[in-house]
Amino acid sequence: MQVKVVIGTIAFMLTMIILGYAALREPERLEHFSAASEGRSIETGAKLYYDNCATCHGVDGKAQECYDAAGNSISCQGLPLNSYFLVCGDTPARLEQTLFEGTKVQFIERTVSAGRNGTAMIAWSERYGGPMRDDQVKNVAAYVLNFANEEFCAEEPISFNWPDAYEDLLTLETEDFVAAPGDPENGAAVYTSFACNSCHGNVDEAGSNQIGPWLGDIAEVGATRVEGQTASQYVYHSILYPNNFIAPDCATGPCVGPPSAMVQDLAFRMSTNPQDMIDLLAYLVGE
Amino acid sequence: MATFFEQVSEMGVKQAIITKADDVVERLTAGMNISDIRSALRGDEPRRPNPRLRPHADSFWFHIRPSFYHTEVTHIYPTFRLGWLSTFMFVWETITGIILMVFYTPSPLVAYDNMWNILSNVPLGQLMRNMHRLGAEVMVLVVALHMLRTFITGSYKKPRQFTWATGVILLTLTALLSFSGYLLPWDQLAYWALTVFLSGAEAAPAPAEFNANVLLILQGAPSLGAGGLLRWYLFHVLLLPLITAIFFFVHYYKVVLYGISLPPGREEIGEDTAKRVPKNERTYFTPDILTNELMWTALTTLFLVAGALWFWDAPLEHHADPIVTPLHVVAPWYLSWSQGWLKLADKTIVIGFIPLLIVMFLVMPYVEVGKSRRYADRRVGLTVASLFFAFMLISNWMGTPEFRVASSPELEVAQEIMPQEGANVLLGVPYEYLDTGLYVPGEEIPDNPYLTRALEEFEAAMQNHSCVLNGNPDMPRQGIWDDCRILDGERYGNGFGDNAMPDPYATLRITVEQANMKRLTLHFEVPDPNNPGELLVDSGDSIYAFRHEGSFYEEECRFLNKDC
Repeated sequence: MQVKVVIGTIAFMLTMIILGYAALREPERLEHFSAASEGRSIETGAKLYYDNCATCHGVDGKAQECYDAAGNSISCQGLPLNSYFLVCGDTPARLEQTLFEGTKVQFIERTVSAGRNGTAMIAWSERYGGPMRDDQVKNVAAYVLNFANEEFCAEEPISFNWPDAYEDLLTLETEDFVAAPGDPENGAAVYTSFACNSCHGNVDEAGSNQIGPWLGDIAEVGATRVEGQTASQYVYHSILYPNNFIAPDCATGPCVGPPSAMVQDLAFRMSTNPQDMIDLLAYLVGE
Repeated sequence: MATFFEQVSEMGVKQAIITKADDVVERLTAGMNISDIRSALRGDEPRRPNPRLRPHADSFWFHIRPSFYHTEVTHIYPTFRLGWLSTFMFVWETITGIILMVFYTPSPLVAYDNMWNILSNVPLGQLMRNMHRLGAEVMVLVVALHMLRTFITGSYKKPRQFTWATGVILLTLTALLSFSGYLLPWDQLAYWALTVFLSGAEAAPAPAEFNANVLLILQGAPSLGAGGLLRWYLFHVLLLPLITAIFFFVHYYKVVLYGISLPPGREEIGEDTAKRVPKNERTYFTPDILTNELMWTALTTLFLVAGALWFWDAPLEHHADPIVTPLHVVAPWYLSWSQGWLKLADKTIVIGFIPLLIVMFLVMPYVEVGKSRRYADRRVGLTVASLFFAFMLISNWMGTPEFRVASSPELEVAQEIMPQEGANVLLGVPYEYLDTGLYVPGEEIPDNPYLTRALEEFEAAMQNHSCVLNGNPDMPRQGIWDDCRILDGERYGNGFGDNAMPDPYATLRITVEQANMKRLTLHFEVPDPNNPGELLVDSGDSIYAFRHEGSFYEEECRFLNKDC
């Protein structure tokens, strides 16, 4: 009988020691599992991204390399998500541009869930008729926000100081940038690479625009829009500040806004090579 | 009796306190004072009248325990403590289950998040979940073994037929309890195991309308979702435990009433002496059985705590997804036999056979009425039982992935080394060792033992699913090619199976996806031996997985002692 008491006591004490050990290692374990929980959410989000989002937002979220279901290269219709202005800092510029009052997580989850009216971005949440469950929306947002890291967010990408008047841009000479005469051929390439065509259509084909106004006749129409602005100044201004003037002739009637459905961060994105702006205007307006 | 203050004035403070403490202990134990307990623990003979018998008459907890057992049944044989252990596991599951309930909401919106919350945010949450899940499996095992041993020792015979019948019900309830808990984490494992189970209910041999209604009751909606989860949660935490408790008490009362049967050889044929125990054959509950049970309580707790902490982890797969069917859906091991049967016979027959089997077990002691419990007199019964046991083991094996319907060979290779769920050879490589690059199976990577080992596994998996002809479209090695060709050149096979890749080319490509995440892509190319220049298999970039820095797979593998 005594042996049983001894064995039982030892077993009980060992159990207590093991539980004590388990309790001591708990903080570390909890930390590991928090990281694992986040990591796996991002992994699942990545899978969802490539299954659903990459067709428009492209490989690596850069909106530069897009493929259709058959694997053919197509033009990217979405905005770049791998962008400083969407994922870096507490309130990225994209939130301010769209007048969104909330966190960036909420912004991305909201946009994925409910879509963006007037664009090709549909509502993805099953709450709004889309295919994704709440947890999947969260995973996708986690993946997108994971583009942010210390190195990527360390420095704001150089933002070009766009002059107010388009004439000033044409003659600008600074240390980093010397304006060259516009090249319409490159302008045509810029028109596609920034996916202008996905909303404004083909400039050679009236009525090919899907959302925004057709730009085939912007050289004439542009000059009549805002008093005192030439066609090139009007287009230049509209690219930089899409919300200041809302065009009356969108694909399905007068355009909606402000805010305009027009892509809001072209001023940032074209900063990397301002010559693109001159070439684009040469292509659209011819000057 | 004198009040405490009178006692103080009579015998002094110290003596009064001792007397009072003695009194309190005697009331709590319903009959034993401090010196009685000490003498019992020392192993002394009890005083007369024996105070150790009084709790069995006066206290609630002891009155459901017999005051003594026949010494013959107190050894490991014949009971192996399995009945007691079943009771212990039921209590264990109740306690750990109630703790888990605190952190759980039965809704598909949050149930899976709750699991990760228990793992990453609740102190000792993982241990608690592991203990509950491990306990559930141990309990099924213990209850099944308890039944097996009852059969072998013939203890189901008169007068214990009804005890046996309640035991059969308890085993069924235990399996159902264990399985009903399966759905609650709302992961892929849970969802698809239940889906398979429910598709069984749909195929039961009954009018289709009846089956449809049973299914509707079981899942609360035309498809498994929020309603189903809530129902299975309520089955698991309320209905089934309640029914189990009722049958448990009936079962237990019968055991107390008839006593535990002696080993078959120790009494005359047709006699039952469990309740007529000569004085010198008695082992009293206090102290011997009590200390014995306390010792086993401590040992079992130690086993379960250590097991759940170091040797076994409750699985948690990806979030349940009705659209994505996992490659190989398997039942839990204790129901694996039913999956095996599905490969033997039509679904309706199998589903109809299971309740029939339960009824056969229920009525067995009323039909098998041979008087002798001795092994030598029960050759037929024991042989039938052994055959049945062997049949169940084989059925169980047939239900495992070993005996599965294989998918295409390149997907099988991917499933072996980079499965959708579970222990993962490739993702188990520590993140810092996942050097970007293009690798072939079996490649040795200098200073990178982890990746080298994973590529070894890759090679082994390739060997299981290919017949290597060394890339020559003219097939000079005709002998091997004949072995590889199985069905008119449409399918190919090797020693392991009839679906293999002839002469495949396979790679693993590791690329950076995000700064802290890598992408692992498996690529398979198989030239078509019958149409040179064309590919039989070209997986492109379609087989891939992501590996985040923090995802913790390597710890999982090391932790589980798994081969990855």
